[in-house]
Amino acid sequence: MAKIVVEGLKYRYPLSQKLALNDISFEINEGEFIGIIGANGAGKSTLCQALTGIVPLFFKGDYGGRVIIDDVEVAKSNLSEISLKIGMVFQNPFTQITGSKLTVYEEVAFGLENMGFEREEMKRRIDDALMLLDLYRHKDKNPFDLSGGQMQRLAIASIIAMQPKIIVLDEPTSQLDPQGSNEVFKAVSDLKKKGITVIMVEHKVEKLSEYADRIMLLHDGRLIDFDTPSKIFSKDDLKDYGVVEPVFTRYCKKIGLKDERGLYPVTLDEAVNLVVKKREHNS
Amino acid sequence: MRMMSLYKDKDTIIHKIDPLNKILYILASILITMLISDFKILTLTLVFSFLLLAIGKVIKNVFPIISFSLIVLVTIVVIQGLFNPNNKIPLFNIGQFVFYKEGIIYSFLLILRVLNILCAFSLLILTTKPSDLIENLVRRGLSPKLGYVLASVLQIIPQMLSTMDTILDAQRSRGLETEGKLIKRLKAFIPLIGPAVMNSLISTRERAMALEMRGFNSNIKKTFLNEHNETSMDKLIRYLIIALIIFTIVWRLVWLK
Repeated sequence: MAKIVVEGLKYRYPLSQKLALNDISFEINEGEFIGIIGANGAGKSTLCQALTGIVPLFFKGDYGGRVIIDDVEVAKSNLSEISLKIGMVFQNPFTQITGSKLTVYEEVAFGLENMGFEREEMKRRIDDALMLLDLYRHKDKNPFDLSGGQMQRLAIASIIAMQPKIIVLDEPTSQLDPQGSNEVFKAVSDLKKKGITVIMVEHKVEKLSEYADRIMLLHDGRLIDFDTPSKIFSKDDLKDYGVVEPVFTRYCKKIGLKDERGLYPVTLDEAVNLVVKKREHNS
Repeated sequence: MRMMSLYKDKDTIIHKIDPLNKILYILASILITMLISDFKILTLTLVFSFLLLAIGKVIKNVFPIISFSLIVLVTIVVIQGLFNPNNKIPLFNIGQFVFYKEGIIYSFLLILRVLNILCAFSLLILTTKPSDLIENLVRRGLSPKLGYVLASVLQIIPQMLSTMDTILDAQRSRGLETEGKLIKRLKAFIPLIGPAVMNSLISTRERAMALEMRGFNSNIKKTFLNEHNETSMDKLIRYLIIALIIFTIVWRLVWLK
């Protein structure tokens, strides 16, 4: 059974004429890693917010269609209840720190305290989350003293401690340096290994192709395509949607190097394998 | 980490006292100093407060707080010494200004009151971690939302100020003159405050969403990570302070008759 079902989702922000999401339908299975790509204004962030209930429960506006998570319709639920099923990490690591806690350990506890968890359960979950995100040795530091990458991992740990089965990340590495981005990608791939469904908006397509099972291409609020990374990045009209393929794909497109299925490689390993294979074939 | 707090992290018995007891101590201090006009008692309570501050190893930190109110204290002496309506006996004079004994005595009484209250407040703010104080109040029924606002303001305002510095540097690098005459500074204020306010609004909206995703508006009864064990010592101190407050009120009422 699909974990997330979206049917005919439409949404328009208050005071806006244009639909931010226009008739979007798809299904996501349990444990999948989904990437979302598209140009600015394509509706990526709005889609994330619709999945987590922020649209229409936080942002009002015109809303149509349904988002169903575990048989619960998001728009008819409330945000606290949804936050136990699906968590969301935002772009800016700084604004996700509550500011009311003095240590990393207490910061992770914030959501658990609000949801009324027992102390022992709380501690167990915080320890697990900090270990998973490799933050345990920083547990007594002030959250504002962490680096950008560490702060973003703390934001993820705070969400993971709530033990949602799905986590949505909206450009979590856009404000981070390469090292911080790598830290976040590693953390997110660990989450997938734990069986958590990951949905991630990301412009770093090389990284995304490496981890994602499927990629969703959005443009002007519409769902253009939703398929494997090789199928998405092998499309000829990507430029029309303001999306650039991974550098390896671009290189192979230029020299016309396709695999037997007629698809271009999207990761470094795939490209290297294909080149080696071709070379052996030629010799 | 910059934080808007005067708290000094030390391991003393005063730091371990329940924050509520320290609030009660302030209350007692205000009541006693307002209801009793006796030099000996007020000096005694002041010495006691200083003793507590010394045990809390924060006595050094209380002097800047007192010196902050020094102008007010000096003003009290001058005004009361010169103009108190009960002034009769001249004490000394500076030039043609005559200071009177009654006024000076009354001003000393007022100063003792101010110092008493200042020291009691200092005991709370110098030896209590703000987050502990707020958590304690939330446990006792303060709305968790109000508690969050109070706790977060202490850390978020310094963060906002550092954002303001970044904006200031950015605008300066584009040629904005921020130093010089008052009018120039006022003109520079507008291009600074615009981005600062917009930035804060956007951050606040994002933080509100992030908080929502962590059950901020949940109707479930909140629990606490930190254990709160009220010791029998804490209870004893509380009863003592309450008894002292009641005793002072009763004593004052009887004495007035």
